[in-house]
Amino acid sequence: MEKQKGRGRFIFFCVAPATILFLIFMVIPTINIFRMSFYKWGGYSPNKEFVGFNNFVTLFQDTKFLQSFQNTVLLIVIVTIVTFGLALIFAALLTRAKVKGTNFFRTIFYIPNILSMVVIAAIFSAIYDPDRGLLNGILGIFRGDAQAIAWLGDQKIVIYSIAGTLIWQAIGYYMVMYMASMASIPESLYESANLEGVSAVKQFFTITIPLIWTNIRTTLTFFIISSINLSFLLVTTMTDGKPDGATEVFLSYMYKQAYGNSSYGYGMAIGVIVFLFSFLLSAVVNAVTKREPIEF
Amino acid sequence: MKMKKILALVMALTLSSVMVTGCGGDTDKDQSKGGNTTGGEKQTLKVAALESAYGADVWKEVVKAFEEEKGNVTVDLTIDKSLETVISAKMKAGEYPDFVHLATGRPDALTETLIKDNGLLAIDDVFDMTVPGESKTVSEKLIPGFRDSSIIKPYSDGKTYMAPMFYSPAGLFYNAGLLKEKGWEVPTTWDQMWELGDKAKAEGIALFTYPTSGYFDAFSWALLANIGGPDFLKKVTSYEEGIWDTAEGAKYLEIMGKLAEYTEKNTVANANNTNYLKNQQLILDNKAIFMPNGTWVIGEMEEAPKAEGFEWATASIPRVNESDEQYITTFFEQCWIPAASENQDLAKEFMAFMYSDKAAQIFANYGAVQPIQGASAMIPDSRGEKSLYAIYDTPVNAITDGGFATTDAVEGVSIADSWFSAYDSVVSGSKTVEEWKAGIVEASDKLRPALK
Amino acid sequence: MKSRITIGRVITYIALIILAVSIIVPVGWVFLASIKENNEFYGNPWTLPKGFHFQNFSEAFSQARMGSYFFNSVMVTVIALALLLILALPAAYVLSRYKFRGNKLLNLAFMAGLFINVSYIVVPIFLMLVDGNKFLKQIFGGNVSFFLNNIFIMGLIYASTALPFTIYLLSSYFKTLPKDFEEAAYVDGAGYFKTMTAIILPMAKPSIITVILFNFLAFWNEYIIAVTIMTEDTAKTLPVGLMNLMAAQNAKAEYGKLYAGLVIVMLPTLILYMIVQKQLIQGMTAGGIKG
Repeated sequence: MEKQKGRGRFIFFCVAPATILFLIFMVIPTINIFRMSFYKWGGYSPNKEFVGFNNFVTLFQDTKFLQSFQNTVLLIVIVTIVTFGLALIFAALLTRAKVKGTNFFRTIFYIPNILSMVVIAAIFSAIYDPDRGLLNGILGIFRGDAQAIAWLGDQKIVIYSIAGTLIWQAIGYYMVMYMASMASIPESLYESANLEGVSAVKQFFTITIPLIWTNIRTTLTFFIISSINLSFLLVTTMTDGKPDGATEVFLSYMYKQAYGNSSYGYGMAIGVIVFLFSFLLSAVVNAVTKREPIEF
Repeated sequence: MKMKKILALVMALTLSSVMVTGCGGDTDKDQSKGGNTTGGEKQTLKVAALESAYGADVWKEVVKAFEEEKGNVTVDLTIDKSLETVISAKMKAGEYPDFVHLATGRPDALTETLIKDNGLLAIDDVFDMTVPGESKTVSEKLIPGFRDSSIIKPYSDGKTYMAPMFYSPAGLFYNAGLLKEKGWEVPTTWDQMWELGDKAKAEGIALFTYPTSGYFDAFSWALLANIGGPDFLKKVTSYEEGIWDTAEGAKYLEIMGKLAEYTEKNTVANANNTNYLKNQQLILDNKAIFMPNGTWVIGEMEEAPKAEGFEWATASIPRVNESDEQYITTFFEQCWIPAASENQDLAKEFMAFMYSDKAAQIFANYGAVQPIQGASAMIPDSRGEKSLYAIYDTPVNAITDGGFATTDAVEGVSIADSWFSAYDSVVSGSKTVEEWKAGIVEASDKLRPALK
Repeated sequence: MKSRITIGRVITYIALIILAVSIIVPVGWVFLASIKENNEFYGNPWTLPKGFHFQNFSEAFSQARMGSYFFNSVMVTVIALALLLILALPAAYVLSRYKFRGNKLLNLAFMAGLFINVSYIVVPIFLMLVDGNKFLKQIFGGNVSFFLNNIFIMGLIYASTALPFTIYLLSSYFKTLPKDFEEAAYVDGAGYFKTMTAIILPMAKPSIITVILFNFLAFWNEYIIAVTIMTEDTAKTLPVGLMNLMAAQNAKAEYGKLYAGLVIVMLPTLILYMIVQKQLIQGMTAGGIKG
């Protein structure tokens, strides 16, 4: 009984401080967002008009919002698939392939992730420059004097240019995460596999991936969240949704409406959609990928 | 070369002197805080001003001049390049500045938001006030045309809510040296414009570029007025039904559609926040002839490398027929007093002071011209902006009331997006002129019922 | 079995080198750009600097107040990291390894918290702080501004908004630990607290280092909360100062200072990363052997 009491107290003191701060600085503000999404309000005047679900109805007839929705989904899909694949391959190479200079590569690959978005926007503006950019310069060797590609000007390409930047930024982050969990896989598993003559590629699929599965699931959720957030930071510093909304994403459109179009309530309705969308999408991904955690 | 050095020296000197006064200002503030307890009569005025192309120092000097003029006033000055973020947060918290210099037409649209929310103070009486330290009233000093601009009278109540600041001609900017060298004339009609475009194309020079699509507002006001006169412009900007189906509306779309074909090919790729200077650089490198812009471009591109014999010049937007009236958009900024200001009388006095010769001279020293008579002559000869005001000496009609009619906020509808941002798509070829028009009409239809 | 030169290995190296070069060149470019003179920024971005214009840095420090912003950033980051670890470690440990009433709900709540983006809750947070100030004013009178422009409060908000992410990350590590650790500790007579601090936390070192690194970067580069809450010039952080140097339309571009500022922001993260990176490997290896 005494022990029971101590246990309860221990649990309480461990969980309460974090929970209280979480409530104050995240839950209550979020409730406020949900509340505001039912109002028509410019942001300054004292009169707020309750409009029910009006903002949401308008939202789904707003072609610019739908465009930003589409762009965001496209970014999530591309960035997740490409980054996930590359990060996993590079992590496996660096942990298993006995490459010279593992530390060097690991250190270098992580660098893009520590850069502020302002730096990244500056770098990629110089890379994507149609005339003197690095990318067209390199491609020019192969393509000859063909018409320069407008990486940030052609509506069909520009969203992929944004995706490219986000992938470049994210590979190192996820690679280090995968490496961290790959490092804790017992070497003996690989040794016995080697003795049985299992190929490195097969080891990767039968040992590495199952054993870091928990970690992979964690990162899938992060991909969704960070694609939404980072695409916003990048777009606002680099293109501001241009040209003609071709790079507009969820949160950049939310900012434009909430602050640039005197529609704070409407903007918050977008915030609600972003929250629900990312939550549901992650729940689906999480359910689809559920496996029992493997202990070793 | 020498000139540049001297300029740099002068700038360095003014900069260092302002830094000293800047520090002085800080200690003043501290004293006033301490002075409250001893019960001084000192009043504090909270001024917030956007740091634009003219720099931050200009405001420090003007504020100092006002403090000297008044004697018992301390100004608490906030200057920031992104003033919106700084003050909007405070305003949401109920802490309002007393005087704000922040124009309409900025991406964050804070001024427009306050207009929509009825957050500005009516300031008609300021125009009848005597300018502090002088004998004339504000109205007497103002250049005619500004007082009646619909921009500063955003509602239908006829009252004035903003005061005009820093005006400049918004025309086509070009390198006079290039045209001289090639022996080309500045086109006055669109037919001449296209002719020049073909000639230039043969030499690998594009006719047209633009920094970002946002610059098409001032450009369009003048073009619309050239086509159908100021009444037509008014109808367009107040979203009149069917206006885009008129012959004049069609003409505008036709010209813009053709202009898109003459636009430098990389323009759209660089027409964003990070890269717009590259488009402006095209003019400096003689790769494109014209761009819509404002006088601030000279400051922006001051340190950029320029083609030999480069010389800034402005031209009016071409007309359809030689016999048409010529219009030019006069771009001007605005200052205003929040309705929630706690110090309205003093703020009005400060506003009136903006039109004093003393303040106008300080502004002019930094290239900003107040809309009072004779102010453009105050610009020091060393500054390139001076010659640009010569355009007002030619037979042009200045438009001082371009700008969209005020509406209540309509969620998800932005005429600037549908009109100007969408023009990027016309230039890049992903939208036809017809599709572009449909977007403008749709946005206009949605905004019309919300007119204030 | 010694490393032979095979096609696979060649491709491996080519891939690694291409990625490395694609990172080194642009980042090195930022460093080079930071010593360019302002007028060199208008031409081809990939030219080498004409000279060493180190004045950019002294100007960034003297005119753009980068020094004081730097100090603020360090303070906020350190406070936020300390608070975060104190709050998140016990919470994550208990939430992932103890069964109690409400456990599932709390886990779900923190999980949901992952999807709350600071971009939209920043205004409500700000208004809450303003209300806090008004409340204090009523009690103590005078012009109190305790909650705004306060480095500690800022750190607290950073730590709080990072809780879901951190707890999620730590929990997923704690969950993989076998149950017998605690049972063995209890048999030895260790209390709950002792078990956590002496046995479990040291084992979590690799995860803790990951958490520190990730959150350091997040706090150091954070802009949206900082710009809203730290409005006084004396309280601004580096990213806010940096945004002020960014070329705003219609304003004169100060590229030299901007790029110097970019380097000033980037350098500490690079250095810290290099240091932590070594411990990261050590921690990971230690964890691996134990597991």
